[in-house]
Amino acid sequence: MTEKLVFNTSSVVSLDYFSVFSEYFISTSAIYILIICSLITYNTYNLIVQKALSNCIALILLMSCYLLLNDDCLTLNFLNFHNSIISDQLSFFTKFIICLFSAIYFFFIAGTLKEQNLVSFEYLVVVLLAVLGLITLCSSQDLLTAYLSIELISLSSYILASFKKTSSYSIEAGLKYFVTGAISSALFLLGSSFIYFFSGSLNIQDLQDLFADSLFSPNSSEIWQYYNIYENPINQEGASLEYHIQLFEILQQLNLPYLIEEMCQQYNFMLSYDVEASIVAHFNFLEYGLTLILFSLFIKLALAPFHLWSLDVYEGSPTPSSFFFAALAKLSIFVFLLRFCYIAFPELNHCWQFYSVCVGVLSVFVGSFGGLKQKKIKTLLAYSSTSHMGYALLAFSTAHSFGVQMLLFYLTIYMLSGLSTWFIFLLLRLKRKSTFQKHSKELGDFVLLRKANSMLALALSITMFSVAGIPPLVGFFAKMGVFLAVVKNGNFSIEFYSVALVSVLCSVISTFYYIRIVKVLYFENMVVGKLYYPINTYSTVLLGFLVFLLLFLFINPTLLYLVTYKVGFLFCPLISNL
Amino acid sequence: MVVISRHQVFSLLFLVGSFIFSAFLLIMIECEFLALLFVVIYVGAISVLFLFSVMMLESKFQNLSKNTIRYLPVSLLFGFFFTLPLVGALQSHFRSDLIDSPLSFLNSFRNWYDLIDSVKDVEAYGQILYSYYVFQLLVSGLILLVIIVGVVFLTNNFNQRYSKYQSVFKQLSRNSKPFLKKI
Repeated sequence: MTEKLVFNTSSVVSLDYFSVFSEYFISTSAIYILIICSLITYNTYNLIVQKALSNCIALILLMSCYLLLNDDCLTLNFLNFHNSIISDQLSFFTKFIICLFSAIYFFFIAGTLKEQNLVSFEYLVVVLLAVLGLITLCSSQDLLTAYLSIELISLSSYILASFKKTSSYSIEAGLKYFVTGAISSALFLLGSSFIYFFSGSLNIQDLQDLFADSLFSPNSSEIWQYYNIYENPINQEGASLEYHIQLFEILQQLNLPYLIEEMCQQYNFMLSYDVEASIVAHFNFLEYGLTLILFSLFIKLALAPFHLWSLDVYEGSPTPSSFFFAALAKLSIFVFLLRFCYIAFPELNHCWQFYSVCVGVLSVFVGSFGGLKQKKIKTLLAYSSTSHMGYALLAFSTAHSFGVQMLLFYLTIYMLSGLSTWFIFLLLRLKRKSTFQKHSKELGDFVLLRKANSMLALALSITMFSVAGIPPLVGFFAKMGVFLAVVKNGNFSIEFYSVALVSVLCSVISTFYYIRIVKVLYFENMVVGKLYYPINTYSTVLLGFLVFLLLFLFINPTLLYLVTYKVGFLFCPLISNL
Repeated sequence: MVVISRHQVFSLLFLVGSFIFSAFLLIMIECEFLALLFVVIYVGAISVLFLFSVMMLESKFQNLSKNTIRYLPVSLLFGFFFTLPLVGALQSHFRSDLIDSPLSFLNSFRNWYDLIDSVKDVEAYGQILYSYYVFQLLVSGLILLVIIVGVVFLTNNFNQRYSKYQSVFKQLSRNSKPFLKKI
């Protein structure tokens, strides 16, 4: 009567197929642009190729979207490049969303670069390489690849933040961003070195095979049920001595002496093994590594209480750079967090779940209350970005596939409304008499927009209502989905009712500063407003399409819901809400 | 010698020396790649960085070893308690009961496997880095490209030929003799 132990094997296959077409295309086109444009503009510092280059890069990113859609192995779930690049539904969906929205970003900033005085082509090349970093982070299955992608994004962001050399705010923002980002990258490396020390591998699939289905993980009930061992393993009649010896032999082959030590403690089984040869590292080392990596990624996402750098950086950087940081750079870090926590370490309840819930609630609280007194627009949007990332983190911490679905939906809607917000903010160019009158930065610069450009005021108010979460717009569904996910009972989570209550109340409070913008647009009692340049047709069509999407997705969010449901359901096989 | 020199530049000289000697030690334990990395990064970048910062500070010669005798007892105490665990940790890894065995005259350890199949560590890096980790290598190349583009843009003054600036070198190298008058 020997029972066999079955370990859950890896659920992806490793293919010998070149699966990184879009990254390849973007990198070669970035190098090509660098060579050609430096030859064109080496002698002059004028505006030559800005607008054309920006539109060209947008077309490059749309082409990479097409390359993603046109892949032969689209419905497969496979690893590549020595198990470090994964091509599954999540990576495909997020890469497509990032390429599409980045293409829209490049279309948007084409016309505004001249008046921002960012006339050199290096700006666009650096943003393109940052987008490449975002894409490689979405499909990285390895801690090393993830670190390199994060560094690519971060280094490009430091350069983008300090791009305006004549403004001391910009240089200060770049320096602050550099110091904060360097510290968080160092903590990421420390955490991954702890994980490597403890497990011998950096690959997420290897970590899943080692730790997620191990015999001593308390959550893997499907393995315990085969052997009738539940709460009291010591006084068990059904388990024979041969079973213990078989277990011990297998564990010895795995060469994990700590497991032998734990097994001795659990089964009260005396062994004669070399005490000095066993590693004195406990399971806690893995939690240290996990917590450090989470800490570093929370710093990069500007969650509270690690959000203080983002206020000064978003305020001081040139507006297209803040646009990039706030709207585009957040989704891929969440994708890596999903892979890292849901697949590699579903030892949920005592490590990352509670930490994420606490940080999420604190971010929502700080983001809602911090923006109340703000008069500067970019700092206001930085606080709003902190609170949005707090909601997303709450959806992330729920540990079931409905939470993953709502997280992806929320981040897509956040990028959409962020694009509209920042684009409208960029479009408002003052017709100024002297160069002393700067670009509109304060809240009071929006007065009487209803007279100057009434459609733009309507678009901005619709976007603000969507960001606040008012019903006939899609932001309401996004927030509602997050709250539903938090109160849902799952396999590894409980219903966090108090968290949902606090988040709803803070959401109501944060509505104030979104509606205040609408108030300044429409209901301010001033006689003289500011005079703005008119907008060209091109930008109007794009902006109109985005605002239309915000309205249309409320009536029919089915496409987005369907895709995110499929991605969320297929993503975590061990943690389903069945 | 780094910590007891009279001037910072002497400390830097001894620091460069200690990095180079640690590179020699690394070569002796067959880690050539790490030794060359030490020379390139530590000596070539970090020591040069320190040298430039010391150059800009321009400190004078000070007699820093005036009060050494006063701190000697406490420093000996600290040094003893600092080196004692290190020596103890080293001693626990060596056994001293080989004096009776007939093999105790053989002081050399021969790794027979290395005669058949050994790869130097630079070759090993090349074999693994360019085959298994190609993608990561190319991404790190792109990271360095971003850094170069950013550095070239941020530190270049593109409008220099159009602006009037002072030439400090010419100002300082004036011959002051025709402009001084003896009273």
